[in-house]
Formats: sequence, C-alpha cells, structure tokens
Amino acid sequence: MRKIFFISFLLLATNALLAQYSGYTQLTDLAKFKTEFSAATQKTLTVKSNFVQEKNLSMLSEKIVSKGKFWFKKDNLVRMEYIQPFDYLMIINKDKVFVKDGQKENKISARSNKLFQQVNKIMIDCMQGSSLNNPDFKTRVFENKTTFLVELVPVVKGLKDLFKNINVVVDKRDYSANSIEMQEVSGDNTIIRFVDKELNTSLNDALFTIK
Amino acid sequence: MMRYLLLSSCLAILLGCASAYKHLQPATGDVRNLQQFKPEFSVALYKAGVDVAGNHLGGLLLIKKMPDSSTRLVFSNEIGFKFFDFEFAKDGKFKVFSIMKQMDKKAVIKTLRKDFELVMMEGINDPGVLIRKDSGLVYYSYKQSKGYYHYITNKAGGELIRMERASKRKPVMEAIMRNYKNGIPDTIGITHKNFNFTIGLKHIKR
Repeated sequence: MRKIFFISFLLLATNALLAQYSGYTQLTDLAKFKTEFSAATQKTLTVKSNFVQEKNLSMLSEKIVSKGKFWFKKDNLVRMEYIQPFDYLMIINKDKVFVKDGQKENKISARSNKLFQQVNKIMIDCMQGSSLNNPDFKTRVFENKTTFLVELVPVVKGLKDLFKNINVVVDKRDYSANSIEMQEVSGDNTIIRFVDKELNTSLNDALFTIK
Repeated sequence: MMRYLLLSSCLAILLGCASAYKHLQPATGDVRNLQQFKPEFSVALYKAGVDVAGNHLGGLLLIKKMPDSSTRLVFSNEIGFKFFDFEFAKDGKFKVFSIMKQMDKKAVIKTLRKDFELVMMEGINDPGVLIRKDSGLVYYSYKQSKGYYHYITNKAGGELIRMERASKRKPVMEAIMRNYKNGIPDTIGITHKNFNFTIGLKHIKR
C-alpha cells in the first residue's frame, strides 16, 4: 500500500514538473504582470525585425527552416516577408489578409474564415501585448532572469484541434516578443524567433497596403 | 432524315466511348527503363501550388523516406500550419496521420493517395505489367483495383513523357516529372481531366 502511495506521489510530482518550463518559475500575481505588460506594449508603436522560423516535424525527425523580414505597426498591421528558401509575402491589414505566393496573389477576408481570424489575432496580440486578454486562451505566465514566458492554452474548439499551446517569450527589458512557439497537438511545433529587433522606428504605411 | 440523325448520334456515342488506348499494339519492352524515372525521395522539400475549383492554396510539401521504407508526405503552409500528413507503407498500405477538417473527405483523400501513388512509382516492379506501343510512345500499364496506372516513355525509353491514371478507356489524371537532379525531379505536375484540380511542385534547395 505504501508503495502505491509512493508511486502515485512520484507520478504526481513528475507531472507537476513536466508542466513547468526549465529555468522558469510561475508568476503568481498575474494582474500585476498584465498591467505592466500592457503599459509597456502601449509604448511599442512599431517593430521591425528579421525572423527565423523553424518547423519541427517530430515523427519525421525533420526540420524546415525559413528566414525573412517582419514589420508590425499599431494597430493591427503586420507584414511578413519570407525570403529563404522560398519567397512568400503575407500582409495583415486590420481584418484583411493578402498573400503573395510566387506569381499568385490572394486576398483573404479574415472575417470569412474564423480560424484564420483567430490565428491572425494571435500574431497581432503577441505584438500588442493583448494576448493576455484574449478569451480564446487560458493563460499562465512564467519568468526567468531575462524573459517572461506567456503560455496560451486554447479553450475554444477550432484552435484546440490545432494547438496544444502557444508560448510567447517576452524580453523583460522592453516587453517585446523574442519568439512565438506554436505547439501542435500532434507533437510538431513551429517556432518563430525574432532577431535584430528595432522598436519604434518609423514605418511607412505603404508596407501594409493591400492593393 | 430520322435515320441519319440516329446514325449520327450513334456515331457520336461510339466516338465518345472510343478508348484512348485502343490503338496501342503489343510490344516488348524493358521495365528496367522505368526504374531510372522512379524518384529517390530520401528527403525532398517542394514549394507546392494547388489550384482547385478556382481557389489557390500554396504551401510546402515535404517528402521523406523513413527508416522502415515507408514514405511520408507532409503538406503545410509557409507559416507552418499542417494541411495533411500521409504515410505510404512499403506494402502499399496507406495511413492518414493528420488532415485538416476542411480537407477531411473520403474522395479528397482517395484522390490525393492515388495521385501520389502514381508519382512515387512504387508499383513498377509488378510482374503483371502490360507493355504496348503506338508510333512514337511506349506504354507501361499496371492494373489497379479500379482502372490503370500508365507510364509513358519515348520509343528509345530514355524519357518519361507522362504518367496517367486512367479508367479502362481514358485518362482521368495526367502527371509529369521533369529535370531530375540526383534522382529527384525538379518539377512535378499533376492535372486532373474530369474536374478543375492541379498540383504543381517545384523542388526547393535548402
């Protein structure tokens, strides 16, 4: 009997450990963090950055790495330009999405596709710091010395089928996103890391124009 | 007049039913000619463009031969969202690891399965191959549970002109593979005959 107790305790303990992130401790005062986070991101009007995207296909032991340029401007404007190893351009302008894939151009109204709308919102929320107020997710926040880790667990149906969780690593100095990791239910994940970030440089609106 | 009408409609029907393969003559050929066209997908990444009923869907297709000799096909968009993940086992078995809800339809999966089965050329060593020719081309035909897979080379056997999935009488889909480098075709094209559906793949150097 004692053995069973011991084993169950061990299992519980390992489960609790697994739910954490190594080197991170969970924040208990979420309200305080929310206030600070939102105050800091209020000041971020633009982000210009390079990015490296890594898609890990766990069962195939395969990694697809792509690189490009990223621009964000308040409110709700995003431009992502993939340049390696393929060309691909995506512009999010409020609730419209424009995609240029080689010679093909596509305008998608995010409103017509609920899932696309939710996914868009994630990207924008991560930049604007509003991810904590998104009702599509249950949120936990962890911290280490230099960063916060915001864990978003989807609670609505469409997103739940796609993602186990989405983790945003936020720089403590300026509360800007260092990386966004989308963990799929299948065990695969996609990490977008932002490198050489420049905050609050002036960005021309033409970057986000959908023709 | 009536008789003429009847005759012409009969003719039209007959012509409509005429087989695209009827003119082929039995031929001797060497299946080993096909072996050189069988793609060596140890691992290959393709930029994919899918056009279906007026809609364009872009993405990346990863094809990987696994240690157990099965082949995995994973199609995702550029931002990382997975559309499907299929496994073609060595013994011809097929498994869907994942597929997005909007695509999760029997007919869609079956079409994609057969299209890529044809392209991967796993069945070319089937001893039941039927070899025929016309004036310029050699047809290597393999009977399937429904219809045929045809691999069509030039007379000399040095060039794969096209591949076809067909009913008894006519092709339902045509595919090409061009510009092989190290056993991997640089371009793969799939065109359906009965409905508006094409897949274009261009190899990406990583």
